[in-house]
Amino acid sequence: MSGIAIAFRRELKRIFSMKEVLSTIFAAALIYSLYYPQPYVNEALRDIPIALVDLDGTTASRELARRIDASPDVAVAMVLPDLPTAQRQVYERTISGIVVIPRYFERELLHGRASPILQYTDASYFLVNQRVAAGISGTARAFGVEVEEARLVALQVDPPTAAAVTSPLPFTAIPLFNPAGGYATYLLPGAFLLILQQTLLVAVCLLAVTARRTRLEPATGPVATVLGNLLAYLAVEAIVVPIYLIVTPYFYGVPRLGSLADILVAAIPFVLAVSAMGMVIGSLFRSPLSVQLVAAAIGMPFFFLSGFSWPTEAIPPALHAVSMLVPSTFAVTGLTMVAQMGASIAEINLQFLGLWALAIGYVLLAIALEWRRQRRNQPSTGQISTA
Amino acid sequence: MRGYGAVKRGFWLVFWREFTWLRRRPFLLCLTTIVPLIIMAVLILVFSAGLATRLPIAVLDLDASDLSRQIVRTVNATPDTAVADHVTDLAAGKRMILSGRIHGLLMLPKNLERDVLAGRRPEVVFFYNNQFMTTGGLTLRGVNAAVPAVEGAVRVSLRTSRGIEAVMAQQAITPIPIHSNTLFNPTLNYAHFLLAALLPAILQVVIIVSSAYAVGLDTEHRHRLRILRRLGNGLWPAMFGKLLPYTLLFLAVLGTADAVLFGVLDLPLRGSPLLLVASTFIFILTCQFLGLLLALLIKPVASAISVATILAAPAFGFMGIGFPRVGMNLFAYWWGAALPGTWYLSARIDQTLRGTPSELALHPMLVLAAFAIGLALLAALRLNIIRKRADAAAAKPRTAT
Repeated sequence: MSGIAIAFRRELKRIFSMKEVLSTIFAAALIYSLYYPQPYVNEALRDIPIALVDLDGTTASRELARRIDASPDVAVAMVLPDLPTAQRQVYERTISGIVVIPRYFERELLHGRASPILQYTDASYFLVNQRVAAGISGTARAFGVEVEEARLVALQVDPPTAAAVTSPLPFTAIPLFNPAGGYATYLLPGAFLLILQQTLLVAVCLLAVTARRTRLEPATGPVATVLGNLLAYLAVEAIVVPIYLIVTPYFYGVPRLGSLADILVAAIPFVLAVSAMGMVIGSLFRSPLSVQLVAAAIGMPFFFLSGFSWPTEAIPPALHAVSMLVPSTFAVTGLTMVAQMGASIAEINLQFLGLWALAIGYVLLAIALEWRRQRRNQPSTGQISTA
Repeated sequence: MRGYGAVKRGFWLVFWREFTWLRRRPFLLCLTTIVPLIIMAVLILVFSAGLATRLPIAVLDLDASDLSRQIVRTVNATPDTAVADHVTDLAAGKRMILSGRIHGLLMLPKNLERDVLAGRRPEVVFFYNNQFMTTGGLTLRGVNAAVPAVEGAVRVSLRTSRGIEAVMAQQAITPIPIHSNTLFNPTLNYAHFLLAALLPAILQVVIIVSSAYAVGLDTEHRHRLRILRRLGNGLWPAMFGKLLPYTLLFLAVLGTADAVLFGVLDLPLRGSPLLLVASTFIFILTCQFLGLLLALLIKPVASAISVATILAAPAFGFMGIGFPRVGMNLFAYWWGAALPGTWYLSARIDQTLRGTPSELALHPMLVLAAFAIGLALLAALRLNIIRKRADAAAAKPRTAT
């Protein structure tokens, strides 16, 4: 026990005496939580500019255009004479969609025939495409239902029956979480978990690499050293984790349904797994600089591997299996489910146990590496460092 | 004024020295080639399916009638969704959503068929998990296509049962049909959209950071910079000789990734290959100059790399691929405009997916070129200051002794 305490105290001291480690953990928390969310703080996409090509120019076509413009998703930014001119504007990125109301639109409607309209949406940006398509077709469909009801009422059908015939099977979609479809609400919880993993991993690697470089004398045996170090990282992360998972999301208005206790309980195996993984990876690098360099680009794939923005069902199973060696794969979905969706620990059993398994596995590996390091160092204290 | 021959000789000397260096420093070589290639390979594998299909949802069918079964079959038949499970109450469905096993729950109320035929308008409800918005949106799309399709069939049969002709009934139920045209990426393939943009974004991080590192190795100590200058017969040829080997490496890396994108994942190349290569070349140079400038402005190298990482690593969000730039706040909009990747991705989308006519595609390329020139001039200015200081410092001890 005292061995663990010795290692704990020494590692804590090292953390607070190394400038790079401190700035990786604390300064990064501040910078990233201010800088990273900026693109998403507006949450929703509204009034996307589109062009209107009204070849009919009648009361009905103008009414439809007015309603499309009034929809929250799109705004008619320009009225253009023909399709090619409008397409040019799409190429220039001034608009993201086109509505074409053909000639005789009103006449066909009055004759009781189907009177189609054309919609062109820019699918080189998916979110834009989705909003524009929803905005135009939702408005046009609602307009069509009104026309149909009016026709039936004109045929002496009473209004409730007309409604029953036009939509006998109304469909309602209810988003259970993130009801407003906010982009920040969707992205930030996962992103913060990845930043947390990234910064902690780099910090632990830096500590491990420097310990090896400076031939730090082992304070106690390998088991006590690794466990004491882990406790030190856990103590430091006890300050940082609430910042990333509770304070910052609150600041950006991300809803939280989970209890604080559940979030923190789920975060413990995550922090342990990442710390222990950092100690293992730290043994692969020779200089602190190389840790920083490799870490810079390596974060992004973990985001897409976690099943967060791209469904796990579509990731090749073999790759998904390998990706489970990285804590974020379990933690991004698991902790988001607990914090944002209010899942209990029992409901994220798979992720929770997975994280514990990773934590135990990496701790054992770290102990084995530490044991080897201490054995090698013992007889060769006089050797010259080759790094 | 030095002669052209001396400058050329100096350039090639530094150029070849850099290759020798790379061979002696396997870490730098790994960082600029194998590391980005591995990251790109992982991302390519992640998105190799291109489309996410048959996402699991559950059904709570309280009616168990012909109509409710028809709805379940139709939902199961859409490409987006698959009915993975039947539950017997809402609580069970909610638990399955919370544990992530299903993405949505379709509830078909009791007496659905009877109420539909009686005109009581019973409601079909789909609960879906929108916390994970991509998946939530895709499952909603599937159900949203299936249920109205069944409703359409019901509406037609309600009319034909009253003696209206089937063709007339079909026309009457959709007074305003919408002919939907999806421009540029009609199948909504994620590999052509997200993956094609992610790969250059990865490279942007790697280029900026590793250029800061590679240049930093030569500029951290004054005497190293002097050696470089002597070798290159001037700072300009020396800097170009230093950077160009990496330009070639990065071109090869992105070329490899693009070969997979175009060759295996069928990314279309609707524009001009020449413009694509040209903008890629300018993009790489711009990122290198940015790394160069950071290394010249910030000492020591470790700090330059930290700053480069903070600038480049979170840059993807600002480039407007996931969440578009028109929806961002002012800071994010302009910060995005200051990133080379934003303009390169525009140019790239123009030449690949969009096939933008060249006269309309020049804008992002010109902005990128302006960045390259501006950054190179700033770097030159900074190099001049460093040289003057070095000369002054070199002159001092001589006058002192």
